[in-house]
Amino acid sequence: MAANQETKERIVLDVAYQPQVRTIRDTRRLMQDVLIALLPALCVAVWQFGAKVLVTVAASVSSAVFFEWAYRKLLKKSNTIGDLSACLTGLLLALTLPPTAPWWLPVVGTLFAIVVVKQLYGGIGKNFLNPALAGRAFLLASYALIMGNFSVPTGLKGAVDGVTMATPLSYLYGENPLPAYFTPQALFIGTVPGAIGEISAAAILLGLVYLLVRKVISWRISVSFVGTAALLTLIFGRGGDHVNFMLYNVLSGGLLFGAVFMATDYATSPVTLNGQLLYGAGCGALTVLIRYFGGFPEGVTYAILIMNLCTWAIDKGFHRHQFGVTKEDIAAAKAAKKAAKEAAK
Amino acid sequence: MKKILKLTFILFLICAVTAGILGGVNELTYRRIDEQNRIKTVKAYSSVLPADAYDEIDFAAAGVPETINKVTIDKISKAANGSGYVVESTFSGAQGSITMACGVDNNLRCTGISIIKHSETSGLGANAASSSEVGVNFRAQFVGQDGGIALKKSGGEIDALSGATITSTAVTKAVAVAIEAVGMLG
Amino acid sequence: MNIKKQFKEGLITNNPVLVQLIGMCATMAITTTLFNGVGMGLSVLIILTCCNVVVSALRKIIPNEIRLAIFVVIIAGFVTIVDLLLQAFIPALSEALGVFIPLIVVNCIIIGRAEAFCQKNTVGASFFDGIFQGLGYTCVLIIMCVVRELLGSGRFGGGLIDIANGFRFTLDGTGGGIQIFPADYGASILNLPFGGFLTLGTLIAVMQYALKKAAKKKELAEKAAAEAAEKEVED
Repeated sequence: MAANQETKERIVLDVAYQPQVRTIRDTRRLMQDVLIALLPALCVAVWQFGAKVLVTVAASVSSAVFFEWAYRKLLKKSNTIGDLSACLTGLLLALTLPPTAPWWLPVVGTLFAIVVVKQLYGGIGKNFLNPALAGRAFLLASYALIMGNFSVPTGLKGAVDGVTMATPLSYLYGENPLPAYFTPQALFIGTVPGAIGEISAAAILLGLVYLLVRKVISWRISVSFVGTAALLTLIFGRGGDHVNFMLYNVLSGGLLFGAVFMATDYATSPVTLNGQLLYGAGCGALTVLIRYFGGFPEGVTYAILIMNLCTWAIDKGFHRHQFGVTKEDIAAAKAAKKAAKEAAK
Repeated sequence: MKKILKLTFILFLICAVTAGILGGVNELTYRRIDEQNRIKTVKAYSSVLPADAYDEIDFAAAGVPETINKVTIDKISKAANGSGYVVESTFSGAQGSITMACGVDNNLRCTGISIIKHSETSGLGANAASSSEVGVNFRAQFVGQDGGIALKKSGGEIDALSGATITSTAVTKAVAVAIEAVGMLG
Repeated sequence: MNIKKQFKEGLITNNPVLVQLIGMCATMAITTTLFNGVGMGLSVLIILTCCNVVVSALRKIIPNEIRLAIFVVIIAGFVTIVDLLLQAFIPALSEALGVFIPLIVVNCIIIGRAEAFCQKNTVGASFFDGIFQGLGYTCVLIIMCVVRELLGSGRFGGGLIDIANGFRFTLDGTGGGIQIFPADYGASILNLPFGGFLTLGTLIAVMQYALKKAAKKKELAEKAAAEAAEKEVED
């Protein structure tokens, strides 16, 4: 080791993945791009559930921004609402709520998401859980009744009596057979009941394409997430038609929404490339496990939150190359260490 | 050696004194504790099947097994007015064992349940025994149910306590067992 | 050791839960209604005071090698006594706290105080240490109960206060408490163990913040005083 250092001086920078490139892309631009990518999903929601979902979204976004501003102000810290991250958290949380949610529900959720999950740990980039998802989990555990109340979308008015109805997933894992109007096509377009932002697979995929083109996220997490879930539900399918079972699983229950917008959050997902693949696969496998054996049909929220907690370990597990260090260097260092140990004995 | 003996002696002395005091306290309190448990039992029994007195019967002699479906039957008492039986049974809940009294009338329908002893999670499973609205509503569902009783998620009529599926399942199963046991009595 | 200092230590600067960080299991588990909190707090206070007195009275004859075994015997003895008394006279509390009364045996507060304080101090000082540490514990429990009950179910004083037929205290745990807002709006996750962790964590953070601030203030004042004294000497 000592001999090695004499011949080759090097500086180890304790920062993320190397090499680094300086660009004009900053947090604000990234957040802006994600906000834009969420617009198609929001449009479908307005089309299917009416303009009242905009009230939920507005309450969520404004309260998120307010809590971010108020917390930083109270603790005399720099003002960070300009980076739009609070805005995004608010919008993401609103899109995971059912369309029947009262206005105060997202306010409670963003209070938990912004203050407890994000700011108490130091603000943007320092939180270890995805704030919007943690907010949703908080609401799910607290207001199970309201959170499970899905209104009938415009596309199914007439076909279904009443104001609220069960989601495709609850049929899939429940006792009753799936009604005929839940076709994979309906799930793709979005004429199904569900959380505000999750109903239309097409709109979410549109957002994904935009994010990929703008290079905001890489394909790894989303693809390995959806791929693992699809593979598992295909192999261990239920009912006669395994392909259809897999399609229903992938297209409903916020799996796509989670894979594209939630699991890819920078602060709470791994930075190593193999780590990202493993992280996505973990999310997918946990989702399927929770759906198969858990107490309720939806599993995406908890799957991603659990994998958020594993992010640190995953990044540790996958060795990062130090810039300018070759394989031979590493082998030599290892040998020197071993020799030193032997000598000590 | 001498030291070990000394240590042993001191520890023994302190243990002996503690044991003596505990014996005294037990002597002072055990009647009251028994009395409290008796009051609780009568209270529990009369709320599931109203009667002035209950006569314990020898259910083993009548051919009822001691354990059915992992539910242990502790006692079966016949209401003095002949309206039915109260089955006291012990079974596993989410956190520990639950002791429950279940009234069964002569038509083999449940007349009510009461949890006598449990160590379920406060605020969740403990609601099954609590006097709060949630607890009262939960227990009221069992009245009038027959041997085919089941939770809603298994196709029955019983709403599980929110967040306490294990406790709810256990209680429902025990009610079914109580009805079965009374059925065996004939 | 004066009483005033012990009082301050037990409740604030050396609070068992918020500063020493011991006895947290029961703190998070049972603080769902005020009835539970007050009952548990007072039970611990009584057991702690008794154990403190006995341990400090016996401190000269307890051999160092087997002190922990003897502490455990003494503590278990008092816990069993309190458990039996509760079963006999306040069955509702005994039922509500369930296994957490017997578990006081392994509550670190009691063995911790025996080890850290009573071994080296007189009976009188140990008695007050028991009272004030117990009070400190009870206060934390009460704060946690009030916060969790209010935010979790919109209620105050569950089990302990009844307003159905005029305001009265119920010692049998049957009171419904005062409903401040409908329970449906309460974030019921606070009634779950998660709520215990969250509330306790927040309380500890607030306590540490306050203590740090006070220490800084004191340091500044001392510095200023020292500077002033120096100036005087120079003059």
